[in-house]
Amino acid sequence: MKLQFNLNGCHVEIEAPADTSLLSVLRDYLGLTGTKEGCGVGECGTCSVLLDGRLVNSCLTLAAQASGRQVVTIEGMSLPDGSPNDLQQAFIQYGAVQCGFCTPGMVLAGEALLASNSQPTRLEIREAIAGNLCRCTGYQQIVDAIQSTAQKRQEVNPNA
Amino acid sequence: MERFGYIRAASVSEAVALLNEPGLKSRALAGSTDIILQFRHDPHYCDRLVDISLIPELRRIEQRGGWVHIGAAATFSDVMSNPSVIASAMVLAQACRAVGAVQIRNMGTLGGNVANAAACADSLPALICLDTVANILTPAGGQALPVSQLVTGPNRTVLPPGGLLVSFSYPVPDSGSRSAFLKLGRRNAMAISRLTVAAMGRLDEHGRVAEARLVTGSATPHIERLIVVEQALTGQQPCAELYQHAANLAVDEMIRLSGFRWSSEYKVPALTAMTARVFAQVFEVGEA
Ligand code: FES
Ligand code: FES
Repeated sequence: MKLQFNLNGCHVEIEAPADTSLLSVLRDYLGLTGTKEGCGVGECGTCSVLLDGRLVNSCLTLAAQASGRQVVTIEGMSLPDGSPNDLQQAFIQYGAVQCGFCTPGMVLAGEALLASNSQPTRLEIREAIAGNLCRCTGYQQIVDAIQSTAQKRQEVNPNA
Repeated sequence: MERFGYIRAASVSEAVALLNEPGLKSRALAGSTDIILQFRHDPHYCDRLVDISLIPELRRIEQRGGWVHIGAAATFSDVMSNPSVIASAMVLAQACRAVGAVQIRNMGTLGGNVANAAACADSLPALICLDTVANILTPAGGQALPVSQLVTGPNRTVLPPGGLLVSFSYPVPDSGSRSAFLKLGRRNAMAISRLTVAAMGRLDEHGRVAEARLVTGSATPHIERLIVVEQALTGQQPCAELYQHAANLAVDEMIRLSGFRWSSEYKVPALTAMTARVFAQVFEVGEA
């Protein structure tokens, strides 16, 4: 079937079978391999993307369901010049990236949280990334990175 | 070759018409979190998915005439953050919050949870605790059925073929009612529920129990209010001993209804503790 949606601000149109997952469309049809496939069954969160601004597992979403809607992947997070945004910078700075496989999902989970809660507590951050598994870092550094980004953004824009 | 087709319904009536189109085995698709996995097990699950997740009426949550109505395609995130639900039924808000992780709560729907009727569906004990009625539409017309009758056992419902779950309605509990939901899972966020308790209660002007309700999830094959426990509490002065007594009765009921099973060995102490705790939360102001 024909699918069209807004991906990271650009209109895309592709032809894919109706049973194709959004994850497969992103990686296999569009070549955007920033979104990872871990478990394929909704348990690891590494395939997380934003669908109409809400964090979802793209492995459990049919691409057809995204048709006509807005999808944001990790490729849409960077600054216009392609460099990492402040949250991504913080991940680097706090050592929140080791093998990096969970990182795209973690960054999107962090952004989804900060969009609705500009000053989250550590507990709220842990809750927000509870669907994202990391087998390397032990999570502390990831929580630190998200928390420090929240603080910095607050300093820059206190009304956010 | 495509294993199935996909079509998006624009309205409830169109969805019912599509689900009942002759010659095609159609299934309703809402959150897709369960259905997409079904397909990987059974490619012949259906010929066509009818996407109902974007029908505005099915996402609506509103309080009207002493009832709260929740569209069947409202997501767990929608329900747990809705002011009417939070004000009237903490038990349901907490149960939705207990589902999976944020990704699953953003996609999964109340209707999907009920239609699949997994033994561990978190929303079921809460909905049944609230005496929720499911509103179903078939080509022959509408019908309302208490959720406790709709769901007959693990993965079993009496949803008529071609019927669409449209909404859930529960009566706004009497003022002064409080409710709570507790879940015991293996790992906090993602654990599929092992054991849950949903409770509601209200005290009279003398501080005695005017009304009590208790429902357990993942403990008995059929999820229902444990009337024996509820009656034992009614008219009594709330205190730790009373909650303990209720907990013991709840365990007796669990064993009577489900037979003693291997899992009971840990479920007995767990259910005892959780029942006592949930009633403490419901009846002791300031504790929840
Ligand atoms: S790959 Fe989607 S949750 Fe693991
Ligand atoms: S950095 Fe390796 S899984 Fe998280």
